Amino acid sequence: MSLFDLIYAGSNAAWGLAEQTVADAIQQKGKDQKVAFPSTAYSLPVIYSATGMKINTLGDLETALGVAKSLIVEEEDLGKALNAGLSTAVSAEIIESVKYALQEDPYEDEPGIGFVPDPVIRSLGVPLVTGDIPGIAVLLGESESPEELAAIVKDYQSKGLLTFLVGKTIDQAMEQDVKLGLEMRVIPIGYDVTSVIHVVSVAVRAALIFGALKPGDLAGLLEYTKQRVPAFVNTFGPLNEVVVSAGAGAIALGFPVIADIDVPEVPGALLTQKDRSLTVKTSLETREIKIKVKEIDIPVAFAAAFEGERIRKDA
Amino acid sequence: MSHEVLEFDVVSASLTEKAKTDGAELIWDRQQAMKAKCGFGDKGLCCRICAMGPCRISPVEGKGAQRGLCGATADVIVSRNFARMVAAGTSAHSDHAREIATVMHMSNKDGNYKVKDVGKLLNLAKEWGVETEGRENDDIAHEVAEIALNEFGKPFGTQRFITRAPEPRQKLWKEKNFEPRAIDREVVTLMHSTHIGCTGDADSMLEMSMRTSLADGWGGSMIGTELSDIMFGTPTARGTEANLGVIEENMVNILLHGHNPSFSEMVVLAAEEPEMIAMAKEVGADGINLVGMCCTGNEVTMRHGVKIAGNFYQQELAVLTGAMEAVIVDVQCIFPALARLSDCYHTKFITTSPKAKITGSTYIEFSEEHALESTKTIVREAIMNYANRDRSKVLIPQAKSKALVGYSVETVIQHLDKVVNSHTDVFNTVKPLSDVIWAGVLRGAAGIVGCNNPQVKHDKSHVTIMKELIKNDVIVVTTGCAAQAAAKAGLMTMEAKELCGRGLKEVCERVGIPPVLHMGSCVDISRILDIVGRVAIERGLDNSDLPVVGVAPEWMSEKAVAIGTYVVTSGIDTYLGVTPQVLGSEHFTDMLTNTIEEKVGARFTFEEDPVVCAQLILDRMEEKRDRLGI
Ligand code: SF4
Ligand code: SF4
Repeated sequence: MSLFDLIYAGSNAAWGLAEQTVADAIQQKGKDQKVAFPSTAYSLPVIYSATGMKINTLGDLETALGVAKSLIVEEEDLGKALNAGLSTAVSAEIIESVKYALQEDPYEDEPGIGFVPDPVIRSLGVPLVTGDIPGIAVLLGESESPEELAAIVKDYQSKGLLTFLVGKTIDQAMEQDVKLGLEMRVIPIGYDVTSVIHVVSVAVRAALIFGALKPGDLAGLLEYTKQRVPAFVNTFGPLNEVVVSAGAGAIALGFPVIADIDVPEVPGALLTQKDRSLTVKTSLETREIKIKVKEIDIPVAFAAAFEGERIRKDA
Repeated sequence: MSHEVLEFDVVSASLTEKAKTDGAELIWDRQQAMKAKCGFGDKGLCCRICAMGPCRISPVEGKGAQRGLCGATADVIVSRNFARMVAAGTSAHSDHAREIATVMHMSNKDGNYKVKDVGKLLNLAKEWGVETEGRENDDIAHEVAEIALNEFGKPFGTQRFITRAPEPRQKLWKEKNFEPRAIDREVVTLMHSTHIGCTGDADSMLEMSMRTSLADGWGGSMIGTELSDIMFGTPTARGTEANLGVIEENMVNILLHGHNPSFSEMVVLAAEEPEMIAMAKEVGADGINLVGMCCTGNEVTMRHGVKIAGNFYQQELAVLTGAMEAVIVDVQCIFPALARLSDCYHTKFITTSPKAKITGSTYIEFSEEHALESTKTIVREAIMNYANRDRSKVLIPQAKSKALVGYSVETVIQHLDKVVNSHTDVFNTVKPLSDVIWAGVLRGAAGIVGCNNPQVKHDKSHVTIMKELIKNDVIVVTTGCAAQAAAKAGLMTMEAKELCGRGLKEVCERVGIPPVLHMGSCVDISRILDIVGRVAIERGLDNSDLPVVGVAPEWMSEKAVAIGTYVVTSGIDTYLGVTPQVLGSEHFTDMLTNTIEEKVGARFTFEEDPVVCAQLILDRMEEKRDRLGI
C-alpha cells in the first residue's frame, strides 16, 4: 500500500472509532452530557485552535466528527494526506474527551497523566522561549530494547529536552529506572495511542498562549508550531495505520517523525533510524535543535531537568 | 499577418506591428506564403531519395498509388524519412561534441582553452581508465579528449557511456542489439540503409534509428556535456534575467545565437576584456550587453548568468528591436532569414562557422587556434556598429523575468544534500529525490525540452504543460528553448513555488530550488538521462519503471526527433506536442505509440492540446506508481 493510502486507512479507522465512541457515550449519558478537559480555558484545544469551535457537550462532538470527516479527502496529494493526519488528531481528541466526559479522572489508575492542564503549559513557556528546554521529544510505541529506550530518554533528559512517553514506552522506561515526572522533564501521558493528542494539545495551546494566535487560524497555527515549537516524534516498533496517520498529523504540525523500522522516508519529515544509539542525534539534527550548553562530563546526568529533584534520605 | 500566433506572448506581439512599418519579413509571413501544407509530406508519404522519384503514396489505403517506383510501401517510406531525421539530429549533436573534444585536445594551461573543472576531468579519466597519478592535467585532458574523439569512429566496441545506464537497461540494449557502436558509424549506417534498395522493412528501420539515437544521447550529447563542463566549468546555481527586455537602450547589444560553447565561451571572455569595454565607451555606449538565444544562450547562462534574450521563435524579434548591433552565430537553428532581416536595420549578422555559412551574412571565421583574438575581432565589429544604430527605429519591449539557472546534476545533488540527515543517510546521492517520489510527496518528474514551432502557439504549450505538472506535484527539469520559455514565464523563481501543489512546494522550500529546473542546452538532455538513471540505480530498477516522462511540447528540429527517440529507447515515455510526419503509415505510427513499449518499456504519445497532454502524463505517472505499489 502506498504511504498516502496507509494514512487514509488510518484516518478512517480513527474516525470510525471516534464516531463509535461518541455514539456509545450519547446512548449512555445523553447528548447534553458535559464535555471538558480539566483546568483549561481552551475547551478541546486541538479542535478549538483549528476551527475556533468550542465543544461543551457530547452533542457538540457530533459536529466535531463532521469536521474530522471533512478533512479526509482521499487523493494522492501531500496536502490532502497531511489534512487526513490532522483529522486523526481531531478524532483522537474526540475519543480522549469522551473519556473525560464519562469519568472524573480517566487516568487515575495508570502512570500516565493524560490531559496536561494550562498552568503546566504556562510554566513551560519561559524555558521553551529561552531555549532552556531546547526541544520536545514524543516517544511512542514499544522498543525492542528497553535498555536502549532508557538510554534515549536519559540522553534527552541530560540535554534538557522535555520528553513525553506514550504507550508501552512508559512501562519500559519505568522498568529501566528512568525517573518520571514534570520536574524530571519526562512525562508519561497514557497507554492508548489516542493519548498522544495531549502532547499535541500542549503544542497548540503554546501557540494560542505564547503566539497570540486566533482560534480558527489553522494556517497560522501550523506555521507557528513548525517554526516555534521544536517538537519531534520517535516511534518504536512496528507501526499500524493509525499511528502512521497520527504521524502525518505530526508532520502537518511541522514535527518530524523518526522511526526505528523501515518506512517510506521523506527527507526532513519521516526518517528511518534503525540504530537506536543514533536516534537522539538523528532527531536533533532533523528538527534542527542545537544544544546550547556543552554536555558536562560528570558521572550523573547533569541538566536543568534535575534541578527539581528531591534527594531522598534513603538514596 | 495574423497575430494569433503570438496571442500568448503580448511582449513580442508589439514587435510584429513594427515589422510591418519597417518592411521586415518574419516567420509568420513566410508561413502564410506557404499556404496549406503538402499533405503527402505532412504524413511522411513523399520520397525523393532517388531520381526515379519523387514518389508519393496515397494516404488512403487501397486507393491511388500504394507503392513508389521501387516498390517501397508507405511503411517503408515513412520509416525511412523518420530514420533520416534521427540521423541528421544525431549528426548535429555529435559534430557539436566533436568540436568540444577537439578544443579539449588543444587545451593548455597558458592557452585560451584550459581545463576548468579538474575534478570532473579526473572522474572521467578514472571512468575511462586513464592514468592520472603524477600527470599534468593537460596531459590527462589530452588523453581523455583523444578517447572521446575515438568514440566517433572507433572500429570496434560500443559507446563507453552506455555503462552509466541502469543494469537492466544495459542488458536490454545488448539483447536487442541496440548498443550503439561508433557515433559516426551509426549515422553512416543509417544513411546507408535508407538509400534506395536497402532496408525495406519499417520495423528494422525503426530499430536502427533507435540504436543511432542512443549514439546521440549516450554518445555525442553526453560527450558534449561532460567535456563542456570539464573545459568551461560545471554549472552552478545562479540568477539571470530572460526575455527581450534584457536588450539595453544605451549599450552595445550583441546577440549570441547558436550552440557551441567552445565559441560562445570565447565571446563571453572577449566581451569582458577591459579593452573592449573601453572601446564601447569610446563610441558613446555605457558598455557591452551580451545576450543569449537558443542553446548557446543556455550554455552561457548556465555558466556565466548571461541574460537570455529569448528562444528560437524570437530570433527575428531580437533584430526587430532595432537595438541589436550584431547577431553572432555558429551552428544550428539559425534562420537564414536573419540575413535579409538584418538588412532592414543596422544589425550585423555575423556567421563564424565553416559548417554554417549563410548567404548575405558577414562571415568572420572563428579559429580555435586563435580563439580569443578571433572573437575579439568579431566583438569589435559589433562595437563599431553602435554609431550606425537608427534610434528612430528602436523599440525594446519592456519585459523580462528573473530566473534561477545552472542546475547541473552536480548542483541538484548539492541542493539535495541540504535535506540529508547525516546520521541516517550518505551525502552526494539522489536518494532524497527518490524518497520523495516513493513517498508520494512528488508524483513524478518530467523533462520538458525542445523548440518552438509555428504549428502551435509559441511557448503556450511549454508553459501550460509545466504549470499543469507543477500544480500536480510533478517536478520539472528542462533544457533548450523550453527552458527559456519557462524562464520568461517566471517559472524559474523561488516564488514560483506558489504555483505548485503542496508536495512540490514543500520540496522547493526545503531543498531551496525553484519547481522548474534549468538543466542547460539540448545536448544537456544527457544530464536528464544521468539523473533519471541515478534514481533507477538507487532503487535497483530500470528507467522504464519510474514515474518519469520526457515532453517536447513544441519541437521542430531533427535533433528533437533524435532526442525523443533516444529518450524512449532509454525507457522513458515521451510526449510530443507536435505530431511527427509519420501518420501516413498506420503501422509505423502504431509502433511509435504502442508496440515499441514491448521492446523498450516506453512509448511515444502525440498530443497537441497541452492541457490534455498534461493529463495524459499525470495518468501515466499514476499508472507507473501503481505498478511499483507506491
Ligand atoms: S526510393 Fe523508391 S519511393 Fe523513393 S523516390 Fe526512389 S523510387 Fe520513389
Ligand atoms: S530547443 Fe530546438 S530550437 Fe531550441 S536550440 Fe534546441 S534544437 Fe534549436
